Amino acid sequence: MTEAEWAALLRAANAGDARAYGRFLHAVTPMLRGLVRARGGSLGPEGCEDIVQEVLLAIHLKRHTWREDAPLRPWLYAIARHKVIDAFRARGRRVDLPIGDFAELLPADPGPDPTEASDALRMIARLDPRSAEIVRAIGIEGEEIAETGRRLKMTEGAVRVVLHRAFKRLAALRERHIE
Amino acid sequence: MKTDQLIAALAADAPARAPVAAGLARWLAPALALAGAALLALWGLRPGLAGAMMQPLVAAKLALPLALAGTVLALALRSARPEARVTLAPLALLAVAALALLGIGLALTPPADWARAWAGDTALACLISIPALAALPLAASLLALRRGASTDPARSGLLAGLLAGAAATALYALHCPEDSPLFYVCWYGLGIVIAGTAGRLLGPRLLRW
Repeated sequence: MTEAEWAALLRAANAGDARAYGRFLHAVTPMLRGLVRARGGSLGPEGCEDIVQEVLLAIHLKRHTWREDAPLRPWLYAIARHKVIDAFRARGRRVDLPIGDFAELLPADPGPDPTEASDALRMIARLDPRSAEIVRAIGIEGEEIAETGRRLKMTEGAVRVVLHRAFKRLAALRERHIE
Repeated sequence: MKTDQLIAALAADAPARAPVAAGLARWLAPALALAGAALLALWGLRPGLAGAMMQPLVAAKLALPLALAGTVLALALRSARPEARVTLAPLALLAVAALALLGIGLALTPPADWARAWAGDTALACLISIPALAALPLAASLLALRRGASTDPARSGLLAGLLAGAAATALYALHCPEDSPLFYVCWYGLGIVIAGTAGRLLGPRLLRW
């Protein structure tokens, strides 16, 4: 997939197209994984996947900082670089990443990703029970927002608000990297 | 949790928020309006404001902070984008303009009067008023920049502080009766530096992500 296609997906996503957004995140993940694994081999595949998820969360919470007329890759790389350096620091390591672009990086392991990240579940467990239940229902059990709402007797809007706050909280928890 | 599952959950979240510039406009405009109202109510406009502003050296004490505010506003917004590399070089131009004004002030004032012109009568009021007027705009700017993704929070904080300080100074210039560049370049400048320092210190705490 080319940068222009990524940009088209994110543009649609920022306009409210959730499917395009999912495709965008799927499309960029191998590149992010490549970046993390190139530097963090010693963390093991699970540890690397934790960082990949941290970067995805940051992209999610900062996706409105991409200007639609600006190139996408430098923006994406800058977020990834910032979060990867941060994540390594939180784990007591240092990592050197040049400023610039993904450049010569190869996307890691094409094909389905079997890796289960270990941090995420631990972080979700630290949310308040309702937020944790909603994140689990939608992320892990693949429930639709509407179903979750019906089950928990909440409006769709309320579920979305809880979900959004949960992501912000998860990002903050991950930044502190609570063990 | 698998990454695919995380992506599914992220995609279910609400659409992206408005760009940082829109957020800044929404926060900063009311903060400046309140600071302006406070100036009118608590400080008051100087007598003969319109006439005084016809003199270039008096107009400069309004124009220079406004130019600074515009410059740092653009830089602060740029610094909220993660890929942007922001340099403070444009500020050097404004510093040169301030020094030139100081030179003109020195040339126009007899050396025996330099100390008096520099100290003025209201230096302390100026040093208290500018940071006081800047507090709310600084809070608004930092709140707005929190939604950005600055990779250099200290610098973004500094820019927010300079923005608030410059805007507060432009307001204060409408009240302040001191017209010697010896006075205002020093004391306004110091007031702006105080606001900038506050932003510089708050940035790393508030603008991390």
